[in-house]
Amino acid sequence: MSTDDLHRDLTRRTENAPQELLTRSFFFLCAVLSIVTTVSIIVMLTTEAAKFFTVTAPLMGVEGPTASVVDFLTGTEWIINNEQFGVLPLVSATLAITIGSAVVALPLGVATAIYLSEYASRRAQRVLKPALEVLAGVPTVVYGFFAVVYITPALRSIVPGLGTFNMLSASIVVGIMIIPMVASISEDAMSAVPDSLRQAGYGMGATKFDVSVGIVVPASLSGIFSSFILALSRAIGETMAVTVAAGSQANLINPLNPAAYLEGALPMTAAMVNLLTGDVTGGGIAYRSLFAIGLTLFVITLVMNVISDFVAQRYREEY
Amino acid sequence: MATGEQRIESFGHVSRTVGTVFRYLLLAATLFGIVALTILLIYVANDAIQPLTADPGWHLTFFLTLVSPTLLVGGYLLRTDPASFRFGASVVGMLAVSTMFAGGAAMIFVDIVPPVVWFSYVLALALALVGVVGIERLDRQVPFLARFAAAGAVVLLAFGVVPDFVQSLPVYPTDGVMLTLALGGPMALVVGRYAAAEAGRRGSALAVLVGVVAVGTGAVLGPLLEIGAVPATVLLSIAVVPTAGYAVGAVRRRSARRSGLALTGTILGGALVGALTVDALGFAGPQSWVDWGFLTNAHSGTAANAGLYPAIGGSILLMVTVAVLSFPLGVGAAVYLEEYAPDNRFTRFIDVNISNLAGVPSVVYGLLGLGVFVTYLGQPTGTVLIGGATLALLILPIVIISAREALRSVPDSMRQASYGMGATRWQTIKNVVLPRAFPGILTGTILALGRAIGETAPLIMIGAPNVLFSLPTELSSKVSAMPLQVYAWASLFASEPFYQAAVPAGVVVLLIVLLSMNSVAIVLRNKYQNQQ
Repeated sequence: MSTDDLHRDLTRRTENAPQELLTRSFFFLCAVLSIVTTVSIIVMLTTEAAKFFTVTAPLMGVEGPTASVVDFLTGTEWIINNEQFGVLPLVSATLAITIGSAVVALPLGVATAIYLSEYASRRAQRVLKPALEVLAGVPTVVYGFFAVVYITPALRSIVPGLGTFNMLSASIVVGIMIIPMVASISEDAMSAVPDSLRQAGYGMGATKFDVSVGIVVPASLSGIFSSFILALSRAIGETMAVTVAAGSQANLINPLNPAAYLEGALPMTAAMVNLLTGDVTGGGIAYRSLFAIGLTLFVITLVMNVISDFVAQRYREEY
Repeated sequence: MATGEQRIESFGHVSRTVGTVFRYLLLAATLFGIVALTILLIYVANDAIQPLTADPGWHLTFFLTLVSPTLLVGGYLLRTDPASFRFGASVVGMLAVSTMFAGGAAMIFVDIVPPVVWFSYVLALALALVGVVGIERLDRQVPFLARFAAAGAVVLLAFGVVPDFVQSLPVYPTDGVMLTLALGGPMALVVGRYAAAEAGRRGSALAVLVGVVAVGTGAVLGPLLEIGAVPATVLLSIAVVPTAGYAVGAVRRRSARRSGLALTGTILGGALVGALTVDALGFAGPQSWVDWGFLTNAHSGTAANAGLYPAIGGSILLMVTVAVLSFPLGVGAAVYLEEYAPDNRFTRFIDVNISNLAGVPSVVYGLLGLGVFVTYLGQPTGTVLIGGATLALLILPIVIISAREALRSVPDSMRQASYGMGATRWQTIKNVVLPRAFPGILTGTILALGRAIGETAPLIMIGAPNVLFSLPTELSSKVSAMPLQVYAWASLFASEPFYQAAVPAGVVVLLIVLLSMNSVAIVLRNKYQNQQ
């Protein structure tokens, strides 16, 4: 090899060599795919939902029955055969599931996080963390079956008036399902609290209880709060467990009234599944209502995710 | 003290009660979900397997041959040599999990991909690899683009010509021989590579040879034992040979662990002796709903005859499709974000976007599949391809996030060392970063696939049929999946017999598959964490 070759080899710029360009553009395209996915979700949901509403349907060139936006958002009846598309009963049922599962999951999740981050030995952590992951890993349809076949009969001995399909057991299984989410995100936030704060607490004569409740929890409050929102957004989007366990009657219920949980209702996600497992022909108004609910669901969960992100960023205590 | 007159006698009494109560409350809260799920699992397993319906003699036999020896040997090992205990137990676990996967693979070779098709494609792949490696060895003076084009042409040529040519041959070897070469061969090569680190070139070659011969023996003996050549070959290549390779390799590396094999032997021998004794004495086993018929029948109107076969096949095909689509795309995106992306607004936007996508409900992804693949692209509803594509999009954010974590854990000093040696960015990624991050990436992908295998809602949205009577055989055939079949039984055929028989059995099969996938991922992760 002559010195000229060596010189060229050593000084050649590899940044834009064909091989480098090729691989870099492939990786770039992979990353861009995530944006394409988001854009197509938004475009597809809005265009299909636009065909559903009376106001926007002419713009999309759709003829045939449509529903008015006002009726959709304020209607209290969801009867597909009568073409009554009021989303409120579905929203009320979703809200009930969310509140019910929050009552189960939020206290348990935070307590789990405190235990894992402050009290558990490394050995206990090694066992408990994978076990908690299993809770989130069980398919949701299985949880729905558990609710109907085991939990509802068991609860009936305590709560006599419980229907076969009810919101109570559906909320409980959804709650169990989202415990790991609350626990792991909150625990991350608590582990990020610097040890010096704890030591300062002990130095002041605080007990472990005082340090956990008085120092670690307040210091990681933004993380805990963001875990709440994320977990609740997961509960809202939860589909199969509520489809199997909550029934298919679209009743308008009051989510704050405990008695409402004894009956079944139809959350938004379950309504979507029921629409497709029933005899919905492609292109009809019922089919398009699917996308209207989908859009509502997507907007709600997106807003919650953004809020959670915002809370975690904005109110994070920097140490 | 400021006044100097008051003296503090004591700090007062601090009660430990509050702290203790608090601590146990926390523990109870932590265990609540785990205990609740365990109870539910026991119930469903009891309903599905019905262990109490077995003869007392059956229980007694297995207690004597399997349970008590295992407890004795296991307890002794655990006290004297925990490392050996773990090794012995891991061999049993590996054998069990790989046997399950071998069952799935055997299903594919019996009903979906005939051995000759598989053989022809493996042959094409081998020829293409030889061609590409040959071109890479060419003189560096040939410009990269020319070499790249030539390599592409060789690959296209190999896959375009070889499979058709092989399949059109009038005579080809028996299924057993083809599978021995095309499945046993690659597996033996993997085992040989594992052995190479320990035993050098000759040991590696020996391991490959032993592996291929063992699989070939299976191909010959299979029909004689009435198992069939194809299942026997698949079982040997996917379950027995890799497990044996692992066991032999581990014993050679640390011969002190040899005693762990006593545990393996006790469990396997005990199960075998127990089964033979029960058979000879005529004790009836439990009337389990999870039986051979359940695994190999299609759906039926009566719960007792209903089976999961098409749904299992559908789940396997979906899994392969999802893995093929999501692994390269997810790892690619993670590599871009970790290794290439400049820190600018666009990158941060992709970042936020991915974490938001991870929070989008699965049913919305189903709508995406329905809207984009079915309505806009005009694909037929409910096929393997669009089901797999929809699920791949669903798990893509999870794959990306976990792959990024794995890439981030590679120390920067390794990258700098590689750059210091004059490597380009791609060479650094290919030779340093990816190999080091691979176990972590694999763990994340397996966990994400576990998520995909349990998803039902997206499949319903894209119009997968609730009831399917035959296995899907290609990418464009309709697909069912295990959770979908369970949902159909639990809701559309909701009746006492289905709730008592078919649904619990389906749930148990689904959970066994899922838990074994998760445990593989967790074992991988622990191994990987210990190495670092």
